[in-house]
Amino acid sequence: MQTQNTDTHFTGIVYKKMLGHYDVQHNNKITNCSLSAKLWKDFSTTELSDNPGRRVTHVSEKHMDPIAIGDYVQFIKTDDGSGMIMDLFPRKNYIARSSAKPMPGAHTFEQVIAANIDQVIPVFAAADPEPKWHMLDRYLVAAESYGIPSRIVITKFDLVQGTPAEGKLKTWIALYQSIGYPVIVTSSKTSQGLDHLRQTLADQHSVLVGKSGVGKTSLLNALEPGFGLRVQTVNQSTGKGRHTTSHLEMFPLQGGGALIDTPGVREFGVYGLESMDIAVFFPEIAPVLGQCKFGLSCQHDEEPGCAVRQGVMDGRISPYRYQSYLRLKDDL
Amino acid sequence: MQTYHKNINADFICKHCGCFVSSLTLVSGVVNRNHCPYCLHSRHVDLYDPGDRLGACKALMAPVGLTLKRSRDKYAPDNHGELMLVHRCITCGELSINRIAADDDPEILLAILKNSTKDRSAILNECRIKGIRLLEEKSHRYLVQSQLFGRSADLWVEAAML
Repeated sequence: MQTQNTDTHFTGIVYKKMLGHYDVQHNNKITNCSLSAKLWKDFSTTELSDNPGRRVTHVSEKHMDPIAIGDYVQFIKTDDGSGMIMDLFPRKNYIARSSAKPMPGAHTFEQVIAANIDQVIPVFAAADPEPKWHMLDRYLVAAESYGIPSRIVITKFDLVQGTPAEGKLKTWIALYQSIGYPVIVTSSKTSQGLDHLRQTLADQHSVLVGKSGVGKTSLLNALEPGFGLRVQTVNQSTGKGRHTTSHLEMFPLQGGGALIDTPGVREFGVYGLESMDIAVFFPEIAPVLGQCKFGLSCQHDEEPGCAVRQGVMDGRISPYRYQSYLRLKDDL
Repeated sequence: MQTYHKNINADFICKHCGCFVSSLTLVSGVVNRNHCPYCLHSRHVDLYDPGDRLGACKALMAPVGLTLKRSRDKYAPDNHGELMLVHRCITCGELSINRIAADDDPEILLAILKNSTKDRSAILNECRIKGIRLLEEKSHRYLVQSQLFGRSADLWVEAAML
């Protein structure tokens, strides 16, 4: 990646984006930038419309928003102190989700959450709102498909400590640990696990993902009290979060590295995967692929001689993870 | 524990007899249809709880006998409770107890009752271990008939004998 600065062109990293404006960090200074018309045109496609003499320009589906948090960009400074992004450097990696369908039958497109990241941190609350483990599997599959390691963080542990729910939670934690995913149990109230989390985040670009109300921003506030980010309690009537964080932003950490806070999502669709490929991204299922009677053509659902189903019956694969696999496969 | 309830109440085609089975409550009289009313075969799709759909076996479950649902009332008389169908997985041997639906074939139910204790000591043992008391034709035929046909059971028996 070419990141040299010249007298007029600077290289920075996108820290925040809101409505077509991007905050780019360069030499510990933030410059508010917009996208140059040339770069916007590069990401757009132009075609003739049915109406003769009229051209219709639309943004290619792949690049509905060409810039993502964490992108390295080249920008110039304008007279008013703001900047203009002139170029986007190739990404090391990125994580994306499938956009929500505006209506039944509509097609989805890829929404890039963050780019050039070292680890994905799926955040789940021990309680309030109840953890949805199937959704965690979706995050893990998405991260696996983009080749990015994941570390699971459980927040609000103080809510279940000493209750019967604690035992149930520990069963789930043991399940994910046995698969190979590190799990960090935290509590912003009691500061439990925060030091361990700080060590994990040091010198890494990490992205927090999770549904609304699980405590992503509260965790960030607990890690770096200086941020003072706005948080709210979960709605007591619905048991759901209030979508307090509504934009993506990257925050530099004192211990080095940076943490990207994301708005909570109710659904997380995995984009661009074929249903046949999903099994590869379940680390405990992947080793038995190809051992089925029908080889790689096996759907692992009702086929006789399926090694995956045999693995579930033998106890090598969790039935819950297998169910997640089937559910994810059906949704694609 | 979250479970995958998609298609839990969908119509299906029986893997054993190939008949189309409607899941309409109006037809079956039960909310969750879990076996074919024509051959009474089921499928091994649940693991821990009824309807959890966590089972990976997915093999056929054959009807092996009838039993009575245990009453919560500890003072209830013997032979009290709803008539239930006992299924056994043909692959892994797992036993499960299911409610009888309104449109289940009564003749097959009586045939199951007749054959349930014949030369099947292994199944009887498994049922005993699981605490399932299989009904026997000798001592429970009238009970089963009255559960299936109500007060007209005697008339039905007489009609069958003609």
